[in-house]
Amino acid sequence: MSIPGEVITTHTEDSVVEDATAPRELQAGRSPLRIAAHRIRKDTVAMVCLSIVMLFVLIAIFAGTLADLFNVNLTVGRPAEQLDFLGDGMPLNGPPNYGFDPEHPFGVAPKTANDNLAYWLYGCRTSLVIASTATLFATLIGVVTGLVAGFAGGVVDKVISFVIDLFLTLPFLLMALIIAPIITSRFASDPDYPTIQKFGLVAVLVFFGWMGVARLVRGETMSLREREFIQASRVIGMPTGRILFKELLPNLVAPIVVAVSLMLPGFIAAEAGLAFLGIGVTQGASWGQTILQASPYFEKYPLYLWEPLLGIVILVVALNLLGDAIRDAVDPKTRR
Amino acid sequence: MFAYIIKRLLTGVVVVVLVSMAVFALLWYGPESPARPICVQETSNRCTDERLANFEESMGYNNPIYVEYGKYAKGIFVGREMALGGNTIQCDAPCFGFSFRSRALVWDELIERLPATISLAIGGATLYLLLGIPIGIAAARRRGTLGDKLLVSSFLVISSIPYYLFALVAWLYCTLVWDLPVLGDSGYTPLLDNPAKWFAGLLLPWLCLGIFNCTAYTRYTRGAMVESLSEDYIRTAKAKGLPARTVVYKHGLRSALVPVVTIFGIDLGILLAGTIFTERIFEIQGIGLWGLRAVGSFDLPVISATAMFGAIVIIVSNIIVDVVYGVLDPRVRVS
Repeated sequence: MSIPGEVITTHTEDSVVEDATAPRELQAGRSPLRIAAHRIRKDTVAMVCLSIVMLFVLIAIFAGTLADLFNVNLTVGRPAEQLDFLGDGMPLNGPPNYGFDPEHPFGVAPKTANDNLAYWLYGCRTSLVIASTATLFATLIGVVTGLVAGFAGGVVDKVISFVIDLFLTLPFLLMALIIAPIITSRFASDPDYPTIQKFGLVAVLVFFGWMGVARLVRGETMSLREREFIQASRVIGMPTGRILFKELLPNLVAPIVVAVSLMLPGFIAAEAGLAFLGIGVTQGASWGQTILQASPYFEKYPLYLWEPLLGIVILVVALNLLGDAIRDAVDPKTRR
Repeated sequence: MFAYIIKRLLTGVVVVVLVSMAVFALLWYGPESPARPICVQETSNRCTDERLANFEESMGYNNPIYVEYGKYAKGIFVGREMALGGNTIQCDAPCFGFSFRSRALVWDELIERLPATISLAIGGATLYLLLGIPIGIAAARRRGTLGDKLLVSSFLVISSIPYYLFALVAWLYCTLVWDLPVLGDSGYTPLLDNPAKWFAGLLLPWLCLGIFNCTAYTRYTRGAMVESLSEDYIRTAKAKGLPARTVVYKHGLRSALVPVVTIFGIDLGILLAGTIFTERIFEIQGIGLWGLRAVGSFDLPVISATAMFGAIVIIVSNIIVDVVYGVLDPRVRVS
């Protein structure tokens, strides 16, 4: 799939059919990744998804600034003043019983009177920070173990493959559920507990998320190892490290990009899911946690639940569709 | 074939032993003190350092870990006596300890909760096979048409939504908002107590599992069918003048189903290992919810039992799938 020569030829034939306007000479000199990028730029669905994802990334980066702009923050609300405790316990201003409240554009939460918009913005940040950190480390570990296993072969490969298979038999959700609270419970009295909790969650996601990439890279490396350009670099006496990272790795970029783009939405869903089960991020803002808190009020106050829910669904669906488009762009055989 | 099965079984046993060691070590070294949850519970929140030390002593947490692991492993096969505070509890084989919270034997609680998870998993799995495979075949036969394209892209979007949100919204609307007659009464009643209630309580969870997961099966079946329908023997079958039904179902489907069956086996294993989200959302007292509650209250023996149970179910289902695959596809046995 990622063998340079083959990819270029198949892509050229395929692309000519697709965009007949592009002159053949332009295709010939381009790298597989640039051809893939070109195909993504032509894919409307992918571009829409990409802009949605970029929007969420910007929201996550500028969560603080945006919160200031709307004049909302994470500090605890004033339930006694803001909620109708004589009536149904719902906010006195804004949704669900009254119209739009400019002071709290997304409304305030029942029981705590926290501002929903502030929690939504920071929840977006939590989600993306945890998922992207976990993706980064899981990919690094996966690539390194996969390269080593595939290139070394023999006993090393047997051991690493066994470990990969061992990890694959563990039910991810069950294990994450067990490990995350046990690790973080040690630090329950620590002032930095929310941060430690997030690191613990990232560690758990990485711990159970690296195998997919490792297996993929191992397989690709095994097929590339026997090819002429690797033999040539061995013959000229290139050190193994250089062969791995300068010769092999560039040829693995395409499958790794595909794996990463499908791993990220998985981690976002997992983070929110664990928070929904009351396990992941229980301190601070998290979409999953807001969903957990909002479900009992759903009948009276559906907006409270729909805000974080739509946040997750739109982001995850956009990322998944984008990942799918990237896979199609990289691999000419799987056209939708 | 026989040697292949033996080899798979042996690696399975090794993996189970490794997982049990890992879980044991995790619950030993993970918490600040493994005896604290039971100490807090037994002394009703007045767990002093002295009392904690007593609990650690009586529960064997002062012994080396390998000695205690040996006792734990022995207990699974022949049973053991366990100390709790001043008294000892007789724990028959297979002994996984007793629950800190309810003081009942973990194995008994596991057996009690198993039927709910099994009903849920089998029903859900049946439904997604019954939905997924026919839709996949229909899509493959009409490949390239507008209907096929719409189906593929809409299923792609559905399968991108996180499952628990799908199930949560279904539950919220059916039970809380609309309060539908049969769909709304989700929950678990044992089958033998009241079959009608059992069915009504599980209907919505089954539908959620079925509708959500059938998207994946539609994709697999469609992909495999598209491939098998373009084989030469299909052209031969058509050329012989066989009816279209026979060609599609007898000649095409047979080879297309092999990969689908294997994925189904693995998925069923994962479902049986604990449908945590489904059980949590629909309040079904199965293994997953039991484990989740145990995590909330640091009920360590229950936590270790759910982890072991999940891992064993998945390992066993993987072995079965490998063996079945070996039977269905002779090429696997050779490599």
